[in-house]
Amino acid sequence: MSIEVKNVSKRFNKFTALDHVNLEVASGELLALLGPSGSGKTTLLRVLAGLESADEGRIFLNGEDATEDHVRERRVGFVFQHYALFRHMTIFDNIAFGLRVKEKKLRPSETEIARRVNELLELIQLNWVADRFPHQLSGGQRQRVALARALAVQPRVLLLDEPFGALDAKVRQELRTWLRRLHDELHITSVFVTHDQEEALEVSDRIVILDKGRIVQVGSPAEVYHQAISPFVYEFIGPANRIQGKLLLDAILSADHVQDARGLVGSENLVGYVRPYDFHISASPVANGGFRATLDQVRPLGQQVTLLLQVDGYEPGLRVQIPFREWQGLGLTEKSDAWVNARHIQLFAGNDLKSLESAQSWHGPGAGI
Amino acid sequence: MATRDFTLAQREPNWVKWLVISFALGWIILVVVLPLILIFAQAFEEGGKEYLQSVFSSDTLGAFKRTAIIALIVVPLNTVFGLTAAWSIAKFDFRGKNLLLTLIDIPFSVSPVISGLVFVLLFGAQGYFGDWLFDHDIQIIFAIPGIVLATLFVTFPFVARELIPAMQAQGTEEEQAALSLGASGLQTFFKVTLPNARWALMYGILLCTARAIGEFGAVSVVSGHIRGETDTLPLHVEILYNEYNFAAAFSAATILAGFGLVSLVAKRYMEYKIRKSLAKTGV
Amino acid sequence: MPLLKKNFSVLPGFGPALGFTVAYLGFVVLIPLGALAWKSFDLGWGEFLHAAFSARALASYRVSFGCALIAAVINLPMGLLIAWALVRYKFPGRRIVDALVDLPFALPTAVAGISLTTLYAPNGWLGVPLAKIGIQVAYTPIGITLAMIFIGLPFVVRNVQPVLEELDPDMEEAAASLGASRFTTIRKIVFPIALPSLLTGFSLAFARAVGEYGSIVFIAGNMPMKTEIAPLLIITELEQYNYAAATSIGMVMLAFSFVALLSINLTQWWARRQNGDT
Repeated sequence: MSIEVKNVSKRFNKFTALDHVNLEVASGELLALLGPSGSGKTTLLRVLAGLESADEGRIFLNGEDATEDHVRERRVGFVFQHYALFRHMTIFDNIAFGLRVKEKKLRPSETEIARRVNELLELIQLNWVADRFPHQLSGGQRQRVALARALAVQPRVLLLDEPFGALDAKVRQELRTWLRRLHDELHITSVFVTHDQEEALEVSDRIVILDKGRIVQVGSPAEVYHQAISPFVYEFIGPANRIQGKLLLDAILSADHVQDARGLVGSENLVGYVRPYDFHISASPVANGGFRATLDQVRPLGQQVTLLLQVDGYEPGLRVQIPFREWQGLGLTEKSDAWVNARHIQLFAGNDLKSLESAQSWHGPGAGI
Repeated sequence: MATRDFTLAQREPNWVKWLVISFALGWIILVVVLPLILIFAQAFEEGGKEYLQSVFSSDTLGAFKRTAIIALIVVPLNTVFGLTAAWSIAKFDFRGKNLLLTLIDIPFSVSPVISGLVFVLLFGAQGYFGDWLFDHDIQIIFAIPGIVLATLFVTFPFVARELIPAMQAQGTEEEQAALSLGASGLQTFFKVTLPNARWALMYGILLCTARAIGEFGAVSVVSGHIRGETDTLPLHVEILYNEYNFAAAFSAATILAGFGLVSLVAKRYMEYKIRKSLAKTGV
Repeated sequence: MPLLKKNFSVLPGFGPALGFTVAYLGFVVLIPLGALAWKSFDLGWGEFLHAAFSARALASYRVSFGCALIAAVINLPMGLLIAWALVRYKFPGRRIVDALVDLPFALPTAVAGISLTTLYAPNGWLGVPLAKIGIQVAYTPIGITLAMIFIGLPFVVRNVQPVLEELDPDMEEAAASLGASRFTTIRKIVFPIALPSLLTGFSLAFARAVGEYGSIVFIAGNMPMKTEIAPLLIITELEQYNYAAATSIGMVMLAFSFVALLSINLTQWWARRQNGDT
């Protein structure tokens, strides 16, 4: 089932949560709403569900105007961040709830309900908890139950509000993979909210990046990552080194590849971005004139080594990541000099820099994460 | 309520500790335990058989019956109020909520005699509706309806006061989840909200009932103390006492004291249950 | 509903629920109280003052307020003591004591009244030893005060207990590490934090005792001008159809209740602010 969001705005007192948002979700796709806190992503999700009302704009579900429909008429499955399982009911009763509250004509028989619930328990691989209560389950198990409960009423769209936000890292990983697999099996249109860019990149078909109530960029994970539309997106979606001024010119001259679709070289306020692993380090001056830097700190981290570099006249410094093997081959130590060139620089300038304010307020000034 | 393990820095010298405990215990015994024991001692002073005869005498039973009827009218009404008040206060945000809460608490802080006085002023012979009632031959003051009204006033906040914080603590997410699954408002209320608040509800009803049964001051004012017609159990106790019929008075009093003790036990049980259910919510 | 702060709520039933709540509140509580206020206005200023402050009325206020004040003042340290013992110490019977603290609240007032009277009567369990040292309790202001102590006991304890329970041990430990004696720590750290709850408990006990009828009227002796409590005076006036007097004195008591309610709310608000969570 497709979703269309037309010009939706939402204010809470003086605060604008959503600002003329337009979006189309294709049937069967898994879409991530990504952004920092306060970006409006949860508000948008709740407006889609009917848990909040929009001040302006319309929502279309499968081509029909659903803006005035109450949440219980929209047939959306909503999964809450803190599960919202009915604490006084068994898991079985939780999942069966949606089926049992249907009006008489549409209500399936108890046997049919039992069959469906068991089917779902099978799907989430938790057949054995049917008679337990929510508090007896772990966070990850509760979240799967919450999902099963939402699926029980065969919703047209699945909406998940930071579904893994309350879980610890390892469980999050497992459930991410599990969610993707589930989606591939069921093909229900799904929208989920997250502030974790890794999650969005890993799980979704398309990512929608929001900032301050507006959609900043929409695209596949690859598009959003490699063709960030603004500094804000670039800095949000992954680790970044922001380079300006004279160093930037040196970097551009020595770079293998400069991404500059709009021919910005030479403009005022030029800004360049390089990912930490997109640098090449050498112990001796490089043929194509890489710039010199001093190794300030060396932090080995298993497979990768993180290097903090200081460049003369460039205060923020650079954060570089190279594989351990490569580091070994270099024979460098802390405080020694190295020659650096970038493999790939992304350039922004002018108007793009307005979004830098957002990026700065989110990250703080200076180089990458 | 479990005592935490207080750290070394938080301990007083032993002699201080035992002094405080002795004072506390002594005070409780003197102020609370003695009067309690005395009720039962006096009731059984003339022997167990006399006690039973007193308790089951027709006067006492009659008073008990009247009291029960009044409670059966008052408690459900105030419970319905408590439920609607808790629903609107706990699950929604609106201007004037604090004012509403304060107003609901009023009967709690008003003297019981005032609670009775106001109804005499409304429905008594010289009251605002006095003439109208007289013309229509309706008796409120010095009759059961008056007692019902006064008891309604006095026990007004009890259910609401227990329900509101409990329902507030539950939040609204489970209700939102139920609605998103297609439940109607009433279905959500009965299948999700109430079960979560059931212990607070039951305790509120218990408190309301105990107060309805035991109310004395307000009922004194409106009832006229007409034995056999308008005396409730507490009034009956007073009548017996004033007639120097001490054993009988205390025997009737044990019924009331019994309710009081039951509500004490229920309170601890409910607190235990609520603590357990809060532990269950852990994210 | 323009009343709702959020202009939309997904939970249904707000309108009907609030409507019924307010209507019920109006009929059961506000209109009857309004009748009292209205009747007082009807009397006119002169008659009102004459009745509300007659010699007998003033004497009854002295008795009610005076004894209630003394009782609340006594309940303050004792309540603190009991709360402290319950929260900080383990001793046999602690749980029973904890439950018993609520008894004065749970026991019907008439039952408490006759029990206390019998206890302190000249031939009562406590009346006898007290008589031996020349103290008569029943039918005197002392008796009234004792009854008021009984009623007020739970209020101080139950207000202070949670505060003591939630007290952060860090502060006491810090004070101790800085060299403070136990007594100083309690005096300068624990006590100020507990103060708002103590005041709240005090006010509640005081307000309750002033308006109390059933527990007191038996032990009081009820001699006009000497041991007549204000609530009883109201009833007496009513029985003699002196509606004016009953109304006026009732109005005074109602006004006092509101002032008490207001000051208690203020104290609680101050307490919340002091703890930094408004």
